[in-house]
Amino acid sequence: VSKRIVQGVTRETPISIAVNDRDICAYPGESVATALLAAGITGFSRDRRGRSRGPFCNMGVCYDCLVLIEYGLEHRAEPARVRACLTRVQAGMRVRIPE
Amino acid sequence: MTSGRAAAHHYDVAIVGGGLVGCAAAGYLASAGASVVVIEQGDLNREASGRNAGSLHFQLEYRLVRHGNALAAQFAQIIPLTLLAMQDWQKLGTELDAELEMHGGLIVAESATDMERLEMRQALHSEWGLETRLLSASEVKKLAPYLADSVVGASFCVNEGHANPRLVTLAFAERAASLGAELRSGGRVTAIAAGGRGWQLTVQSRDGLVHEFECGKVLNAAGAWAGEIAAMAHLHLPIFPVPLTMNVLERHAPLIPHLVQHASEPLTVKQVSDGNILIGGGWPSRFVAKRSSNDYRHAEVLPANVLGNLQLAARLVPALRHLHLLRTWAGITGITTDQMPLLGEVPEAPGFFVAAGGAAFTLGPTFARLISEQMTTGSCSQPIDLYSPARFSHINHFMSAGRV
Repeated sequence: VSKRIVQGVTRETPISIAVNDRDICAYPGESVATALLAAGITGFSRDRRGRSRGPFCNMGVCYDCLVLIEYGLEHRAEPARVRACLTRVQAGMRVRIPE
Repeated sequence: MTSGRAAAHHYDVAIVGGGLVGCAAAGYLASAGASVVVIEQGDLNREASGRNAGSLHFQLEYRLVRHGNALAAQFAQIIPLTLLAMQDWQKLGTELDAELEMHGGLIVAESATDMERLEMRQALHSEWGLETRLLSASEVKKLAPYLADSVVGASFCVNEGHANPRLVTLAFAERAASLGAELRSGGRVTAIAAGGRGWQLTVQSRDGLVHEFECGKVLNAAGAWAGEIAAMAHLHLPIFPVPLTMNVLERHAPLIPHLVQHASEPLTVKQVSDGNILIGGGWPSRFVAKRSSNDYRHAEVLPANVLGNLQLAARLVPALRHLHLLRTWAGITGITTDQMPLLGEVPEAPGFFVAAGGAAFTLGPTFARLISEQMTTGSCSQPIDLYSPARFSHINHFMSAGRV
């Protein structure tokens, strides 16, 4: 079952991004958070007891969706931690989250 | 909504203010056998006690040395209280579950002027018996490799550290409650009158009900607003609310075991056990009027000061440059005209005690312990006369003589 709305929506050709060396599919214009959630990845980080944490607000406020982008950020060459909900996917992007 | 007047309640002590000082004192007084009520207008730990950045700083703060050597020497009179606070926190580590960490604190220097300030501090510390050590650039590098190359020296105090402000006061409150103290939040004191066998406080609760509290003694632990509370008892206490700024960065692997301050600029940096970095140190926020034009209860952060605070922190600890600011907030603390705390009985108003003043996170448990001892035994085993409100008798003489 697709997590994306399919009916009546036309999307561009899908691209591929790597999350911890696993390739997932994403569509241009989607946020990294969207791509991860659509791929069934809900744990973006771990709390002090090692429990999974995911995005809470999905609008840039809570910072619970911080992920490390190792490659593929629009305006910077070096790896950086960014809010997944405010960052657009790019073809070939590499995302690192705690296993 | 109901309204009306409930029957009077009787207590040995009524404490105004459910912050760190009020909740800790409630426990100390209750354990000495007193019947105690804490009256908190909002919620326990909602103001400065829960909003500060949790520093346990024992070296002379920047605010105490920034006005020159003569005033610094005068402000150094705080050190005896600081030494007691250091002992108190060492004991509290085993008593309170409040993420207490005391791995030492550094006040760093980046220039010759900064070093002179540290030497001046060092002289005052040793004069008053506080052990601190001046470190050379290479010693600092070894102890604190996370600091920038611009750091040319530091003053080190082995016991400085931090605790979690969201936990400390509530731990004290829990202890007080278990000892039989009554903690009442959501009740605003509207009048304080002397009479009968002590004092009578009128308290209006959120539901509109008016309660009368009769007590032998009053402890004014209202922090920044201790002056307002004193005024209800027809007294003046020269303590003023000041709005400050705190910031928290995202989590990082263990990097900074120390409390870090700067010799000549307002700054505290620490890393808590969750990995987050807290940054504060006394950058102002600003009061905003919500109820009237002179409303000193609400403050908002100033973006320029948030930026200045963060830039200073990142200059000293370059690794912070890559971390996100998660949140920033304002908190209101109280500062007295002579920067010394107000601790003791107001001589012109027997039975009316105060424990308030700046740095009341670091010094709060000690304020509470000493004032409780004075209230229950009539004297204090450790000298607190230096901090007594008696130094403002020249003001209160007229106030007490005017009391009917």
